[in-house]
Amino acid sequence: MARFIRVDMSSRQVKSENVADKYLILGGRALTSQLVADEVPATCDPLGPFNKLVIAPGLLSGTSAPSSGRLSVGGKSPLTGGIKESNAGGITSQKLANLGIKAVILEGKPADKGWFLLKITPDGEELLPADDLVGKGTYEVTAICRERFGDKVGVITIGPAGEMLMHAAGVTNNDGDGNSSRYAGRGGLGAVMGSKGLKAIVVDSPKTFEAPVKDPERFKAAAKKFSQILLDNPTCGKGLPAYGTNVLMNIINEAGTLPTRNFKFGRFDKAAEVGGEKLAEVAKARGGKATHACHPGCVMRCSNVYPMPDGKVCAPVEYETAWAFGPNLEIGELDVIAKLNYICNDVGLDTIETGCTLGVLMEAGVIPFGDGQAAISALEEVAKGTPLGRIIGSGSANAGKVYGVTRVPAVKGQGIPAYDPRACKGNGVTYATTPMGADHTAGYAVTANILKVGGYVNPLEPAGQVELSRNLQVATAALDSTGLCLFVAFAVLDNPEGLPTIVEMINAQYGTSLTVDDVTALGQNVLKTERQFNQQAGFTSADDRLPEFFYNEELPPHNTKFDVKDEELDRVFNFQ
Amino acid sequence: MIVLRVEVRVFSGLEKFLPQKRFGEPLPVELPEEGTIKDLLHKLGIPENQVFTILVDGRHQPLDYTLRGGERVSLFPPVGSG
Repeated sequence: MARFIRVDMSSRQVKSENVADKYLILGGRALTSQLVADEVPATCDPLGPFNKLVIAPGLLSGTSAPSSGRLSVGGKSPLTGGIKESNAGGITSQKLANLGIKAVILEGKPADKGWFLLKITPDGEELLPADDLVGKGTYEVTAICRERFGDKVGVITIGPAGEMLMHAAGVTNNDGDGNSSRYAGRGGLGAVMGSKGLKAIVVDSPKTFEAPVKDPERFKAAAKKFSQILLDNPTCGKGLPAYGTNVLMNIINEAGTLPTRNFKFGRFDKAAEVGGEKLAEVAKARGGKATHACHPGCVMRCSNVYPMPDGKVCAPVEYETAWAFGPNLEIGELDVIAKLNYICNDVGLDTIETGCTLGVLMEAGVIPFGDGQAAISALEEVAKGTPLGRIIGSGSANAGKVYGVTRVPAVKGQGIPAYDPRACKGNGVTYATTPMGADHTAGYAVTANILKVGGYVNPLEPAGQVELSRNLQVATAALDSTGLCLFVAFAVLDNPEGLPTIVEMINAQYGTSLTVDDVTALGQNVLKTERQFNQQAGFTSADDRLPEFFYNEELPPHNTKFDVKDEELDRVFNFQ
Repeated sequence: MIVLRVEVRVFSGLEKFLPQKRFGEPLPVELPEEGTIKDLLHKLGIPENQVFTILVDGRHQPLDYTLRGGERVSLFPPVGSG
């Protein structure tokens, strides 16, 4: 029987409740966004008692569907002031689904200061005192919980940044090896969890792939077919397993859209030194791994295990992070990037936001561009809670205000990721308009702009970008609701059997008779719900714009500006 | 004979066809006038079916694209992620 776990942190009561019919065939982002829209006042303080943190597995999570273990974390974002769904890999989504839990809803706010841990097992749920975990980094918290509750548990936790309510704090969970590196990083949801006095959620489930399925035979056939569709696709079946997400570094650089020196240039002369090919070489030479699955049952295995010179391991170093701490800061050493990545994972910060913030601090002259040791020292201030550490943890837009920087790459207060909107204009449209604030995953137009997946739209021209971004935003909102990894899109966009097979899996699992059109409607509805929340929170079309410098400064080597017209941007959601 | 010279970079596994080169390492290549990408691949011994993305000065081009000289040519197998 599907259920919600509702945790009232004001009274520290935990309840298991039946799921109302309207939520039964929602999962992942569709569920977190609907619950937030239904239960959270749009104008509330994100760190106050009326915000909620909703954690939900996707519709297919916990089954044998390949690469379906993604976790959605939602709430009102302290970083953007709007609705947020942040999506993570790791092992807890499958465990929650196997315990019949459709969502964990954290609400209220304690009057006193004590910290707690929520333990979820097949026997029930309880809040336990966790003051002994306060101030500890996520790696140590995860290790302690695995020791205390068993080495198979999934641990959702926040670091000191979340405890200190920093706006760029993320919520993490671990992979199968116990690395607390699978982040729902974006939007500051770690601060929301911190505001409720919850340090960790430990999920203990003996099962991984046995979530209830109405028609097991039909499901098995569809899941097998979907596996084959992924494996037959050259990107999902070969490229991602060989070099991981950081395979993008070189192609984005060669295409001239790799943001370098805080979005000043589109190419970095040391890109090949920090890309996936080099990473695979170093990882293998040091006894790490060039390929690694973030959750059981993933066939793409795009992660890696990067041993660092200090003996610790950063698993994984992803493309976005390698970019944020590499080209963005003019740092050309993987070991420095891995160290910055590790510190963020441990202290509990989003790596993209933190990279953007350090870029802003370098723009301000607080630390020099290219100075890796200075960046590491600055980032180490976060755990100490010093004024500089708090500024870094507050995100790029806040740091820009503190230091009077106008070249701040952020939309709706959230830092722009690893594709410059002036030479990958489809992504520019997504950054400007997604309800999430600048987010590459919300409508990943790099596919058609650069990778020639799902057609081709010239990245340097404004024509066609709005339609491209719109279609991708709708498809992504639906995909983020299934628990499937976004990377299945590479196969789905180029294989006409992809989407019908996903629908077949959902129908076999839930006994529904959805069609491909219903999936489109689901995606549109998710976006509509999120947009409405943001409008009620005070957002207008003026918030659906890029920062001024992208319209005024040319980006070498193509010397282009962002020139998709405002009235075009306002048509992205014209299906509503 | 008039020749043109381009600067080639290969990535993501295509370097296996150029035993002396690492990924991303610039390789100057000379071709006859009006040489195409196809001619370039033939000269380098890279099978056409292994190349998915061809960027010439950062712009996508097809196999029959005619080179002028001085271009930066970047070759990739199918790659993707996010």
